Amino acid sequence: MSGFGYGGYAGFLLFADLTKGTTKRIPLEKEWCTLYLGGRGRDARLLFERQDPSVGPLDPDAHICMSPGPLTGLLGPTTGRVNVAGRSPLTTIYGNSNAGTNWGPELKFAGYDGVVITGRSQSPVYLHIHDSQARLWDASRLWGEGVFETTARILEEHGPETKVAAAGPAAEGGCLFGSVIFDFWDAAARTGLGTVLASKNLKAVSVRGTGAIRVADPDGYYEAAREGWQAILDDAGFRTGEHSALGTSICVNWGNAQGWLPTRNFRESHFEGADRISGEEFRDLYSTKEAPVPAGRACFSCPNRCKRYGRIDEGKYAGTRGNIEFEGVAAFGSKCGVDDLAAVFHAYMLANDYGMDCISCGNTIAFFMELSEKGLIDAEGLDLRFGNADAMVEMVHRIGNREGRLGKLGSQGSERAARAIGKGSEAFLNTVKGMETIACDPRASKAFGFGYAVASRGSDHLRAHPVFEMLKLPEGVGEELFGSKEAVDLRKYGGKVRLLFWHENLAAVTDSLGSCRFMHASYYAEYPVPELVNKYAKRRKDPSKVHSIKYHRWFEAATGIPMTYERLMEAGDRVINLERALNLQWGLRKEQDTLPARFLKEPIPKGPAKGELFDPEMLEKMLGEYYDLRGWDRESGLPLREHLDKLEMAGVAACLGKRGLLGKGKGEV
Amino acid sequence: MTKKLFFNPARCTGCRACEVACSFRKERVFSPELSRIRVVKLDEDGVDIPTGCEHCEGAPCIHICPTRAVRRKADTGAVVVDADACIGCKQCMVVCPFGAIHFDCDRRAVFKCDLCDGDPECVKWCFTGGVTYGETAELPAGKRHRTARRHVKAQAARGKGRAGA
Repeated sequence: MSGFGYGGYAGFLLFADLTKGTTKRIPLEKEWCTLYLGGRGRDARLLFERQDPSVGPLDPDAHICMSPGPLTGLLGPTTGRVNVAGRSPLTTIYGNSNAGTNWGPELKFAGYDGVVITGRSQSPVYLHIHDSQARLWDASRLWGEGVFETTARILEEHGPETKVAAAGPAAEGGCLFGSVIFDFWDAAARTGLGTVLASKNLKAVSVRGTGAIRVADPDGYYEAAREGWQAILDDAGFRTGEHSALGTSICVNWGNAQGWLPTRNFRESHFEGADRISGEEFRDLYSTKEAPVPAGRACFSCPNRCKRYGRIDEGKYAGTRGNIEFEGVAAFGSKCGVDDLAAVFHAYMLANDYGMDCISCGNTIAFFMELSEKGLIDAEGLDLRFGNADAMVEMVHRIGNREGRLGKLGSQGSERAARAIGKGSEAFLNTVKGMETIACDPRASKAFGFGYAVASRGSDHLRAHPVFEMLKLPEGVGEELFGSKEAVDLRKYGGKVRLLFWHENLAAVTDSLGSCRFMHASYYAEYPVPELVNKYAKRRKDPSKVHSIKYHRWFEAATGIPMTYERLMEAGDRVINLERALNLQWGLRKEQDTLPARFLKEPIPKGPAKGELFDPEMLEKMLGEYYDLRGWDRESGLPLREHLDKLEMAGVAACLGKRGLLGKGKGEV
Repeated sequence: MTKKLFFNPARCTGCRACEVACSFRKERVFSPELSRIRVVKLDEDGVDIPTGCEHCEGAPCIHICPTRAVRRKADTGAVVVDADACIGCKQCMVVCPFGAIHFDCDRRAVFKCDLCDGDPECVKWCFTGGVTYGETAELPAGKRHRTARRHVKAQAARGKGRAGA
């Protein structure tokens, strides 16, 4: 807190200009802490302030921010998150990705709330930060190396307790969905920000921090953090132990049973081979941790431990090792129709080593498989059909190395590839705003589906993560929170807009604070859900014994900034409005708030969700309701001045007004 | 009766909540560098190893200290440092086999785990069993009885098999 005045924050940002080869320490803007909190929120504010809309994603003047939040590095549930943000080369709109790490806390201990990088170095470098010392090191011998080798060598150079964020050779070569990988396995991969790093000739950012972070009200902080921790331990979902035992891969069998596991490029939503790539299978075959407890590895200060570390000891993929998550397993598994878990695990780790987003990579391969089966592309000597594990693995290499026509096209993402291929291939895309869809079929789960249409970084679940609809919670909770009993039914539309709005706001808050989505949107430990669940439970607990994570209290105790639940949710709305403003400046329009044709026109052919579709008329109606909640004009999808003013964003409104990007609300001509 | 902290790598998730809990209890700040317990994270191998003072019976740090700043507390059996008597020679850091003694650059004295006077904070944040606090004699006793319970289960299963046959 020394000097800065607010607890929780380190009080400084590190700016690096790679063109000049300089770094400097700049005090944090205090006003941004109250309005945008930190992490994702402040990153958007920085980009809005410092990056001219005409600057392209891979131009030297483009900025990339890597920011933990005010809670990152502190004690409490899930305080290991770090946000990476910039203009996405894949979608050319707002790009950001969030990772659970030890890197974020380490940066705080080194005395920084974020690193902001611009410019382009003449030759390959990496940025190493050791407390107040930050300088650029020669990386010419690391250039071209995989993420794992790069990370290992930087640890050798700077000591084993250094934390490393690295880009891979795919990003260097211009693959548009390059990832930033922290400490070998933790990925901030979506939207291709690793490619932005590499475009600056920056191979890695490593950090060692030995300092301390103070909080404003230590006793209040301990109480708030402890209550949040207890709320997780009390959560019904957590108490089953299933998520902790299997990690996010629990979703393979779960999603399959509920009929939303994308299969064969989203042609179907039920995979007959799910059992063979499931979390249970991984635990039994490859997991190296003692089961059932703890079974997994955790991010910084997290009770959940959803990272699954495993190793393959024999067979043709012997030597493959690393952490897996559900998304990568589904991307290379069910989406490609592959039921060989060893091949899936191997492809996943290859993608990480090349430094590619496994979701975009797997989806693009699945897309090619469908095109190849339809005879729309030349598979260049590969037997590129669904279920062919060897072809899938080979395609990862080709995309990573940009080898052959498919490798080159694939490295640009499926939407650009479809444009180049033509022949009606667009009909098989699953992208929104240029980004490939994650592993949950939007036809089978309506809040997820609607979320893909409006997410500020393109098709994505993590902008909201509305798992609420999948949990079979008491109807009363859905009705009281979101105005409809249908909110707890994943196939129905009722209440889903308000459900999504609430989840999006809260997700923007936690991304900005530096804590994890899973605590309020997998488990529901966040105020006021545990209280409501108890209210409608068959067997009720004494309300005084119900615990919840109260982010507003937690934030207030950490920082000393007065905060209420309502103010915090408003901050979430503010962050999302700012991201909308960025996107509008970067050319996004209302027409792109939609879903790909496949989800609007083709009913799911079989499985538990047979016949389900995302009704296009419903989507239109929901968009109207959503725009109203967000304070955007129904006709144009542009923000209204009065709403921005209410959110204390008059400066942003003025900027948008000048560019003709404000909605025609009251008082506008 | 001796209680001690048991570090169990197989049950550690590597979350490091113990580190920040420790620094907060002892220093009122969040800083792994000021923690008495440290988790060694070998990310490439997927291994997390909690480490800290074992409060050795023949503690080399007690023997090496020239000013008797390191001593054993009678009530908890903890090996503790009197920072006022410490001259900062760091010999205890050199002889400690576990790297469990650290130097505080501000106070110019070493610091280490003192078992929080019998109420260790780290344990309160670890519910997977990565670090536990218990009677030394109960460790093998607990293991014996877990083994015994497995025998009970095995016998019950055999009984069922016969009944079904």
